[in-house]
Amino acid sequence: MASVLKAQKANAAKAEAKGKGKRMADAMDVDADQPVAKKLKNKQRVLLLSSRGITHRMRHLMNDLEALLPHVKKDAKLDSKNHLNLLPELADLNNCNNTLYFEARRHEDLYLWAAKTPNGPSVKMHVQNVHTMDELKMTGNCLKGSRGLVSFDKAFDETEWGRLVKELFTHIFGVPPSARKAKPFVDHILTFSLLDSKIWFRNFQIVEKDPLQPNGPPQTSLVEIGPRFVLTPIRIFEGAFGGATVYSNPEFISPAAVRSLARREKGGKYNYRKDAEQEQERRKEKRRLQDDELAVSKVFA
Amino acid sequence: MAKSRKQKAAAPPAPTSNPQTQSLPKNKDKGKKKENTKSALAVIKEPAPPVESSGGEDEEDEEIVEEDSGDELGEDGEESGNDKDEEEDSEDEGVDEEGMERLMKLLGDEGLDDFDRVQLEGLVGDEDDEESESDEEAGEEGEEVPGEVDDDDDEGERESDEEDDLVINEQEDEAAEENDDAIPLDEVESVDDDAVPKQKLEINNQVALERIRRTIQLDPSLPWTETLTVTYPEKTEVDVDDDLNRELAFYKQALHGAQTARTLASKHNFPFTRPSDYFAEMLKSDAHMERIRQRLLNESASIKKSEEKRKEREGKKFGKQVQIEKLKERERSKKEMDERLKNLKRKRKDMLDNAQGNGNDFDVAVEDAISDRPSKRSKPSEGPNKKARMPRNARDKKFGFGGGGRRSKQNTRNSTDDFGSGAGRGKKGKGGAGAGSGHKGGKKQQRPGKSKRMAARSK
Repeated sequence: MASVLKAQKANAAKAEAKGKGKRMADAMDVDADQPVAKKLKNKQRVLLLSSRGITHRMRHLMNDLEALLPHVKKDAKLDSKNHLNLLPELADLNNCNNTLYFEARRHEDLYLWAAKTPNGPSVKMHVQNVHTMDELKMTGNCLKGSRGLVSFDKAFDETEWGRLVKELFTHIFGVPPSARKAKPFVDHILTFSLLDSKIWFRNFQIVEKDPLQPNGPPQTSLVEIGPRFVLTPIRIFEGAFGGATVYSNPEFISPAAVRSLARREKGGKYNYRKDAEQEQERRKEKRRLQDDELAVSKVFA
Repeated sequence: MAKSRKQKAAAPPAPTSNPQTQSLPKNKDKGKKKENTKSALAVIKEPAPPVESSGGEDEEDEEIVEEDSGDELGEDGEESGNDKDEEEDSEDEGVDEEGMERLMKLLGDEGLDDFDRVQLEGLVGDEDDEESESDEEAGEEGEEVPGEVDDDDDEGERESDEEDDLVINEQEDEAAEENDDAIPLDEVESVDDDAVPKQKLEINNQVALERIRRTIQLDPSLPWTETLTVTYPEKTEVDVDDDLNRELAFYKQALHGAQTARTLASKHNFPFTRPSDYFAEMLKSDAHMERIRQRLLNESASIKKSEEKRKEREGKKFGKQVQIEKLKERERSKKEMDERLKNLKRKRKDMLDNAQGNGNDFDVAVEDAISDRPSKRSKPSEGPNKKARMPRNARDKKFGFGGGGRRSKQNTRNSTDDFGSGAGRGKKGKGGAGAGSGHKGGKKQQRPGKSKRMAARSK
């Protein structure tokens, strides 16, 4: 008990010495006040915002994430797609040390930036297969703002970039106990699985009692709450929304390229047909017989 | 192998070749060469050892190199032979053997390995080279040889590298192998549609990644309750396109996470399960949950419905048969009934004539006959040809016919004047007209007993 008291005093003294308010972003970093603080705290806040031009589905996905994570601060849409360097500043204004930025392109492609804001790193991912929580097929439910478990599969630990992404997601999707809207119980789990070099996201409710026999022994089962989506990592940058690329995914094919390829394929069909027509014409010409010298019309002309 | 070696050693770069002069001199030349090489071997054995003394590994390396060079030069072999022939033809002058010897000494042991030296010696033995020419040749040799040596070194390095990799980690080794296996895109016959023929620059800066991770890493001494992170100890290895198994794998991961988290929570004395009396706002609103419930109900209802439909469809196949059966049954029972009654009538014909006498007996018999009939509906059909049970006038008398018209219930002079009957005056008065006629008739018929009446009706 005494030690705790001491620690608290030391903390207070340090805070005074620093003369910095709570609002400073670097004060939120755990690393910053580690050496003195005995009781370590995980302090995370996430700024959540999107670019202009997101569709309803993307917007709903964003709202779902906001509802799911009580330490998220949602901000207005960012007007410009080219000035991402504004984002760290924006996050700083909102006292956030993480940022989730949804970038919509052409009203159909969605990219997700996950970044630690003052000084990186940031991951750019392509979001696919979005199912929002509004869908009636996902029947689970949980407390709003309850802290969810975050589960990663082993594949994250096998690559260096996987480890980095895991660390980043732990910060962003793990709800810190100090989040103001957080509720004290755990009743859902977020799973991240690395499959086919993509990150698959699922969210399950943890049901402790069997609804069919409420007095029986506790039997854990899961019901999906949603949302669900798949992230394809594209690049990892050293800084926040910029800086040197430290990882790039060679397998990633941009959706625009996929589409244009499909279109080209279609065009190829047309070209093939035209070529065939020409070829047929040519052959026909070739097969034509010479005028017969002994033809009836010639002989009796 | 040795042959390829020879060709290589004798290969000057001039590509001009004359197809007509090819075959003859070549053969001649070869014969000469062989002799010469033999003699040269005898001569040269002494300076050779330093090269030979190198270990067994080197020999292996050499083999590899030789193979390589053989492959490379296999195509050029003929050409090079021709070129040399031409040169020989053109320059038929005396050879300065001593000069050649000197050159070799200058070149020294380090530049040439055993075999090359033999070759060179052979060339020297060949009578026909001018000194300048041989100089040139030697120069070429000199140029080539270091390259070879380099190759050797490279090979050695690569091998050692690979060994290192094996020691360090397998992954990189695999990567290296992949690189070895990789085929240039031009040589692939068919390209998969999904594969895009663009070569992307892959960046995977492991060092930087690790450094960055270090900088943002949470303190490892942070208690588990701060992050609530769990790691699944297995990899998800399922077919991506197999939805069911894939989701099952995710479910398993989550379930494992939930269970480990519960044990961890109990260890950290961390509240995990929500008590049943803790109510708070939920993620999905009640209205939304109601919609979900409704949908589930609808789904189950529709399943039930379709099940029923299916059953019915199956029943329909036999439905017609059942219907026919039923009709037949009805027909048969009717016939039977008729039969029975006919029998009865025949038996009791005499009795029917004087029904008055023992009507009771007849009734009982009929009851017996039709006792097993499902309904009494056939009763009226029993006597369709008989007209009315009572004559018209009797029925009119009984039930009334026409009636008195609208004013029949009005008071008349008679009714007003009639004070005869006491209390039931109104009623009497009403029935006055009808009753009066009855009274006037005077003669009142006795009503027959019930059974008689019934018998009469059934006639």
